[in-house]
Amino acid sequence: MIDDTFLEQLRDDARQLQYEPDDVMTTRIAARVRARVSEEAAGGVAQLLARWFRPVVVSLAALSLAAVVGVGWLELYPEPAPGLDAVSSSQTVDVSVGGDVFSVE
Amino acid sequence: MMSATSMFGGASIGSLALDRSVFTAERAQTRSATNEDPIEARAITAVKAGDAGSYGYLVSKYTKRVVSIAWGIVRNAADAEDLAQEAFVKAYENIARFKSGEPFGPWIYRIVTNLGLDLIKHRKRFRHEEITDAAPAERRDRADLPAITNELAARIDRAIQSLPEMQRIVARLYLVEQFGHTEIAAMTNLTEGTVRSHLSLARGKLKEKLADLHGGNND
Repeated sequence: MIDDTFLEQLRDDARQLQYEPDDVMTTRIAARVRARVSEEAAGGVAQLLARWFRPVVVSLAALSLAAVVGVGWLELYPEPAPGLDAVSSSQTVDVSVGGDVFSVE
Repeated sequence: MMSATSMFGGASIGSLALDRSVFTAERAQTRSATNEDPIEARAITAVKAGDAGSYGYLVSKYTKRVVSIAWGIVRNAADAEDLAQEAFVKAYENIARFKSGEPFGPWIYRIVTNLGLDLIKHRKRFRHEEITDAAPAERRDRADLPAITNELAARIDRAIQSLPEMQRIVARLYLVEQFGHTEIAAMTNLTEGTVRSHLSLARGKLKEKLADLHGGNND
């Protein structure tokens, strides 16, 4: 692997340049990794449940929203009940007087 | 200072790049040796089976080396720490893809190297976009510097540091971290030929700068 004496000697001398993290740093890294890894492991179950429940919750929310909007719309713009005029205008009354038949709207 | 974690924005830690590195790491594993540490092999099996507690063994075994590799790339203790942490978490998240029976080392070294390379690439882009007249003041604390005990090591460090980026990273992995060409190629996603080429160019420059140390007796 080593190509020549120069690199070989340099490699021997450069070995001491490896960075040595102190105990505080290594402990901190271990603690943070442990915390994140256990978060991940706990998150696994929660995520599984969330994957199942999320679509159900979204569907229910959409239905509720549609119902609320529908009820609100009906309250704002109630459909008018047909009045007497409307009924009478749509029907004709035939009146027979002296043998003649008159149609009255 | 922007930490690696915040820079990567949590889940978006260059996920594409990481996936690439994880997948290519799987390919590289086929060439690597089998795991000769039975405790490590058992820990990996346990972690794969869902025992997160067993991951502690792997973390404690590899932390120092992983931090050293990260430091060599970013030259900053806080970022090296963040990178190491992120690398271990990513390795855990992808442990299902890890081939049982292989040593964990090459895999985690590869992940941390890729995260480090992504970070400096991001920083470079960020620096280009940044509109500033004055360079930020150099801030270093003692933890940012390795314990360079003698002038010889300090000179070698300065010489390596003066190299262009990829030559510097390859030279550091070869000279300081003592990895071979094949290992460096697997860690950096470069071909072995490119690694040799970077190393050869670095060698020329280092020889110029350090001629008085190791002489010019072998060209």
